[in-house]
Amino acid sequence: MSPIQSILILLMIVVAGLYFYRLRSRFLDNAIVLLLAGGGVILVLVPNWTTLLAHVLGVGRGTDLIMYLGGIGMVFVCLLLYSKLRVLQAQLTELVRYQAIREAEYTGKESEQVR
Amino acid sequence: MGPSTFVIVPAYNERAIILSTLQSLIAAGYSVVVVDDGSTDGTDAVIRGLPIYSLRHSINLGQGGALQTGMTFALQQGAEIIVHFDADGQHKIEDIEMLVQPLRCGEADVVFGSRFLRSQDIVAVPVKKRVLLRLAVLVNWLTTGVLLTDAHNGLRALSAKAAQKIHLRENGFAHATEILSEVSRLHLRYIERPTMISYTEYSNAKGQPVWNAFNIVVDLFLRGMFK
Repeated sequence: MSPIQSILILLMIVVAGLYFYRLRSRFLDNAIVLLLAGGGVILVLVPNWTTLLAHVLGVGRGTDLIMYLGGIGMVFVCLLLYSKLRVLQAQLTELVRYQAIREAEYTGKESEQVR
Repeated sequence: MGPSTFVIVPAYNERAIILSTLQSLIAAGYSVVVVDDGSTDGTDAVIRGLPIYSLRHSINLGQGGALQTGMTFALQQGAEIIVHFDADGQHKIEDIEMLVQPLRCGEADVVFGSRFLRSQDIVAVPVKKRVLLRLAVLVNWLTTGVLLTDAHNGLRALSAKAAQKIHLRENGFAHATEILSEVSRLHLRYIERPTMISYTEYSNAKGQPVWNAFNIVVDLFLRGMFK
């Protein structure tokens, strides 16, 4: 095993471990992480498989294939996070609105809380 | 006129000008709802003591967010007609009655103000803005199917029935387009009425910069994707 192989495998184990320790969520999520980590380890151990797959798909080098897939994965993760962000923003909006309406005042002479 | 007509004034850091805007609205006899959108310049201190409903967002949400808060509140207070009115003094108080009239007669559910219906209003619009607004009209038409003569005019009036159905989710300036798509989705009846916009140095400095149009288009795109 070359040094880079052990480094990559170690990193993948750390990422997967971190995920299960910190962000554990639904079954499907877990399955995807396990599948990705497992697949990653296999590809690191048998680099020829990526090259083989790359040839089948019409990409020259295995490294390039990984890079393309990595790029798509990154965009996917960004969109996923963004959609969660929008949900959070909507919840925050409702909260701020609820508070504003609760604390609404009529600020005329006989200043009073409206409700 | 009358207390059942609620004028919503969203305000974000409008300390310098809001007082005169509010005073003329109060003098005209409207129920005024100010939604202070998390101002940090002491806008809330300036409006203290005025006979108005004062609401405050603890953080800045954006104009769309403030308008929705104002509408929800006004409906709770029994509003029959809701008017959107910018805080920066660019609208004329007298224009409100022209917008409200078709709602009272039951001719429409939503009335939009337009600065492109009378020649004297058009001349008042700076040329750069004229071109940009025409483009915005086109974008609005293509994305919502509602063709108006003006876009992003802050003056509009809604019946309580329409306001109850519409819920703005766009906190930013894209709410102006969102209202159109809601009008189209809910099959609300709408018309336009002429309004005069005064472009003062203050409103130009406070108003949206021209390149903000790009941000609005991106917001609309994202809204479509992540509905």
